[in-house]
Amino acid sequence: MMMMMMNGGEATEAELFLNCDDMSVLERQRVQLNYHQYHHPGFEPTLPCFFPNSSKMNVGEVDSFLPSAGLDLPEIYGELHGDARISVSPGNITTESGNSKKRKFGCVDTETKVFNEKKKMMMMDREVVVEEEEEEEEEEKSKVTEQCTRSIMKMKNKAKKEQNSCSNDSSKVTKDSQRTDYIHVRARRGQATDSHSIAERARREKISERMKFLQDLVPGCEKITGKAGMLDEIINYVQSLQRQVEFLSMKLATVSPRLDFNVDEIFSKEVVSAPMMNLPNTVMPPHMMVNSGYPHDMVNSGYVHFNPMQQVVTSSDPLSCFNNGQSATMWDSDVQNLYKTPYPDDMEMVFIYSVFIKGHHTYFEIDESCGGVNGTELYPDVKYMTVSEFLDTLL
Amino acid sequence: MQPTSSMNEQFLKNWQMGLQIFRPSIDNTSVSERKRAIKLSADVAMASLRKGTTCWSRALIQKAATEDSFLVRQMLAGIKEETLINRKLPKIVCHRKIVRRSKKILMRRKSSSAMEEVTAKAKKLVKRKTKGLRNVVPGGEFMSNNVLLIQETLDYIVSLQTQVNVMRSIVDAAEAGVER
Repeated sequence: MMMMMMNGGEATEAELFLNCDDMSVLERQRVQLNYHQYHHPGFEPTLPCFFPNSSKMNVGEVDSFLPSAGLDLPEIYGELHGDARISVSPGNITTESGNSKKRKFGCVDTETKVFNEKKKMMMMDREVVVEEEEEEEEEEKSKVTEQCTRSIMKMKNKAKKEQNSCSNDSSKVTKDSQRTDYIHVRARRGQATDSHSIAERARREKISERMKFLQDLVPGCEKITGKAGMLDEIINYVQSLQRQVEFLSMKLATVSPRLDFNVDEIFSKEVVSAPMMNLPNTVMPPHMMVNSGYPHDMVNSGYVHFNPMQQVVTSSDPLSCFNNGQSATMWDSDVQNLYKTPYPDDMEMVFIYSVFIKGHHTYFEIDESCGGVNGTELYPDVKYMTVSEFLDTLL
Repeated sequence: MQPTSSMNEQFLKNWQMGLQIFRPSIDNTSVSERKRAIKLSADVAMASLRKGTTCWSRALIQKAATEDSFLVRQMLAGIKEETLINRKLPKIVCHRKIVRRSKKILMRRKSSSAMEEVTAKAKKLVKRKTKGLRNVVPGGEFMSNNVLLIQETLDYIVSLQTQVNVMRSIVDAAEAGVER
């Protein structure tokens, strides 16, 4: 997940991480440099450029890190681009590095390579790269265009830049893959060619990309355009989520005074009510219930509550989407409502029954003992009409 | 992007294990103690989902370790290495007085037009907000650049959502059990 740890030109960062962390971080950095070499146009030559096929990439050590990172990124970014889930395994990564070697050294079609780099940019790299290298080039092209049209449209501006860097690097790969290489970048039309400004621009674009992802994530900020406003919304959202966690833990503490007793029961119910979470029954091992000295009737009652639980759990799904602006207390009352008597469909009928059949609004007497005073006695001059008289006129 | 069901399951498993470990501090203690233990176990469960790959998860585990080092270690022993607790990244130190003084000097030298003033104010606002975000996200002070900060925020928000979802459903189930 630490994709952007290395910013171009911040060597002190590397030192910091080197001093404080173990070697795995350095390898992580290398891997990220690998994938994002084309993102750092103002890249300092002192930091070595690694190509995916470089021998320096220790695939064995990367395996331990990349799968977890790979799992993260597709989850976060994959959905936004409508891609299917990616299951990255160490095997995939090794084949990817091996195949990319062949691709780069063989006759390379720059266009597909551009697509390749574009995918890497949008960080859906792993699946697409793996797939590409396993299939034919034409198929890859069509697949790539199908999957990532949005990213391609976005990246059209950078095509020139990429092609340049691609061609330069591919030629250099044949010669020396170990030594430091410069990344050649072509600036866009009408913009400064300063290396610093290009690096800055790349950083700014990265930030705006991430902000767009955040916009999709945080509910209720589609209309907010500025960075400051977005940051405000994000801060509020994170704070509200944290407050919710506090509130829920407090609630759990009060609800179950003897948590051990109820935890087992709770988890058994969770297992039984499968619709919300696809928990296999083995998650709640039966021996847990036996060990806690659980009486059997409690287990049965867990099953007796199956139907209402199911109903409740499925209806709590819409609640699980957090509504911005909904305070914790409001949500609490929603939950309370869920557990009261079932909500009737025809409220009007209920009201009519209550008022007119049961007489819920008329069964009490108003007399002097309540402390009130009869209005007609206070103002005898005013002509009064009783309610029944009035309603009779309407009939 | 919404948290996936696999993340929910994983968090639930981790939390389940954590609650087992935290049981001594949960049984027959005061409400506030219980709440603290529950929240601690939930936070560590959430952070261990990421297995130390993100900055916020490490910082969260460190914070939890300062509260109850022994139990947190026990919880992490089942999941992954304990070295996470001992890691410490250098804080980004900012001597405000010096920075402010230098900025004042710069401003005096510059001849500011209206446009420049506006942009400067906008930048100030954004900087203030990013500082606020760093305070909210755990480990925000250790993230050196804004790109990293926003990325970590993304991941943190998704994890928080899973945590809230799972906790909410557990609380619902517990309440249903109590009522009946």
